[in-house]
Amino acid sequence: MELKMTTLPPPHGGNLVDRVVRDPERGKKLAAGCSAVYDIKPTLYKDMPVRNVYREIMSICYGFFSPVEGSMTSAELESLLEKRRLLSGWVFPYPMLFDISKEDHKKLGVTSGDRLLLRLKGQPFAILDIEEVYEINPGEVATRTFGTPEANPEVVKVPFDFKHPGFTIYSAFNPIILAGKYRIINEPKLRKPFDRFWYPPAKSREEFKKRGWTTVIAHQTRNVPHVGHEALMRNAAFIGDIKPCDGIIVNAIIGAKRIGDYPDEAIVEAHEMVNLAGYVNPKRHLVTMCLWDMRYGNPIESLLHGIIRQNMGVSYHMFGRDHAALGPYYDMYAAQILWEKGIPSFGFEAPPYAVPQGLYMRPQNMAEFWYCPHCGEVTYSENCTHKDELQRFSGSFIRSLLAEGVFPPPVIMRREVYQIVLKWWKEFGYPFNNKRYLTEREKELEVDLPPMEIPKFK
Amino acid sequence: MNYLAVLLDSKRISDIKGSPLESKVTDMFGGAIKALIIEVPENLAGKIIENLPGARLDARFFIEEAPIAFKRALFEKIKTMKSIGAEVIDAVLTDLPKIKELAAKESESLPIPDVDISEALGLQKKAA
Repeated sequence: MELKMTTLPPPHGGNLVDRVVRDPERGKKLAAGCSAVYDIKPTLYKDMPVRNVYREIMSICYGFFSPVEGSMTSAELESLLEKRRLLSGWVFPYPMLFDISKEDHKKLGVTSGDRLLLRLKGQPFAILDIEEVYEINPGEVATRTFGTPEANPEVVKVPFDFKHPGFTIYSAFNPIILAGKYRIINEPKLRKPFDRFWYPPAKSREEFKKRGWTTVIAHQTRNVPHVGHEALMRNAAFIGDIKPCDGIIVNAIIGAKRIGDYPDEAIVEAHEMVNLAGYVNPKRHLVTMCLWDMRYGNPIESLLHGIIRQNMGVSYHMFGRDHAALGPYYDMYAAQILWEKGIPSFGFEAPPYAVPQGLYMRPQNMAEFWYCPHCGEVTYSENCTHKDELQRFSGSFIRSLLAEGVFPPPVIMRREVYQIVLKWWKEFGYPFNNKRYLTEREKELEVDLPPMEIPKFK
Repeated sequence: MNYLAVLLDSKRISDIKGSPLESKVTDMFGGAIKALIIEVPENLAGKIIENLPGARLDARFFIEEAPIAFKRALFEKIKTMKSIGAEVIDAVLTDLPKIKELAAKESESLPIPDVDISEALGLQKKAA
C-alpha cells in the first residue's frame, strides 16, 4: 500500500477552467464582435454594496470555481438548487448568475446567441456569450440556496432573513438572468497589496510544484489571525502522508464584507506577517486569496471552499465550528456534519468526498483551540480537561480590545500582527470596514484594467 | 445567559481599588487581561444589540464590539453603583440617547493607539 502522496489532487471536474484571453489584440477582436455593452454594477442592499459579479467572473475564468464556466442556465440552476449538482453531475454549491434589471435588459435588447461586452471601471473586461435569458424570483433563489428548517431539518435551525448577508445578496439580485460562458478579454492587474497574494489555481499548482509540496492543507480566513488560528494551522498540518503536510496555505476570501470586519488589506498582510515574523516558516506557509463576496453559508460555503482549494492543488482543508457562519441559522457544526456524514436534504447522502463526482480533497474537522491558564498554553479542546478555566479566542473580543486601546497580549495576538492592524487602521480609520471604506472600495475594487480601445456601441 | 466583559486597564483598576469590586476582577488569558464580567439577562442583551451599532454576540455568548462610549458609561455606572449586577446595565441603558450620540461620532474620534509599527513595516520591506 502506497502511503506517500506524490501528486497534487486533480482539479474538480477533471480540468482547470482557464477563460482568460492574454493577448490584447485577440481581446479587441472578441470585443468587436459584441452586440451590446454593459457596465458592471455592484449589487446593492439599502444603498450599500453587498456583491460585485466581477469577482465571480474572475474566480470562474481563472479556474477557482472549476468546472463552472459562466452564468448558469435555468436547467443548471434548478439542478443545483435541487441537489447541489451541475448538469454534468459534478458537485457545486452556489448559483452563479449574471443578473440585470428588466430596464437594463430592455435597453440592451440582447437574447440567446448574442455576445455581450462587460465593462468594468470604464474599460472592457469580459464577454458573455448568451445561451439563455430567463427570469428568477430572487427571494426564492435565496431561500432555496441556504435552505429552510422544514426542508433541511438536519442543519437549518431558523429561517433565513435579511440579517444574513448571503440571503441578502441573493434576495437583492436583479430578476433577469443572462446565462452563458464568460471570457475575460482584458486581463486585470491586481492592486496592491492584493497582487502578491494572487495565486489562481494554475499558478498555485506551479508554486506548490516549485516548492516540492505534494501535501498541502488549507486554512480558510476572513479574519486577522490570533494565536488560536496559528495553533489551529500548525496542528492541523500534522496530518499529511508519512510526515506532516509540506505546506499550509491561507486562502483569504476577498470581497464585500460587513461593517466592523477587518479590511481585506489587513487580513492578507496580517496572515503574511505570521510567516514574515517567523511564527510559521515561510518555506511552508503561503498566503493567497480568492475573490468572492462571502455568503456565510456554513455547510454550503464549506463546499465552495473545498472546491476552490482543491482546484488550487490542496489535499486537506480545515473545517472548524461555525465555519463561514453567522447568526443562529445553521447548526454550529453544520459544515463538520456535511464533511463527516453528509446532509441528505442538501443532496449528500455521504460526505462530499464519498459521493460520485464529489471532491478529492479531504476534510480535517477540527474542534477548538483555546487558551488554558492551567496548561499555560494554547491547547486543543479534545486534550485539555480544565473546562472551568479555559479562555476562548474570539475575533469580536479582540476587536473590542483594539478599539479600547488595549495592546493585545502575546497569548492572544502577535505584536507584529497587531502592528499590521494599526497600519491599516491609520489608512482607513475606525470602525474597520466603515461605510466610507466599503463604498470607496467598491469603486476601486481589487483590480485595475488596462485601457483597451474598442468600437463604439449604441 | 449572556455576558459582557468590561476591560480594566491600570487606571480603571486603581479606580476600583479598595471597593468590593476589587474581589470581582477576573483574570483572562492567564492574567494577561483583567476584566469585570457582567451577567446580562437575554432581554437586556437584546436591547443592547438592537440599539447599539456594531454590538454583537460572539460564540462565547459575550456581547462584543459595543461602542466604546457604551463601555465607558458602563464602567462609570459600575464604579458608582459598586456592582456588576444586571442593575448596572439597566442604569446605563437609561442614558441610551446620549450614548448613541457619542457612538455615532466614534468613527471620527476614536484615536489610533500610539504604537510604533516600524518592526512590522521593516519585515515587509525586507521581504519585498
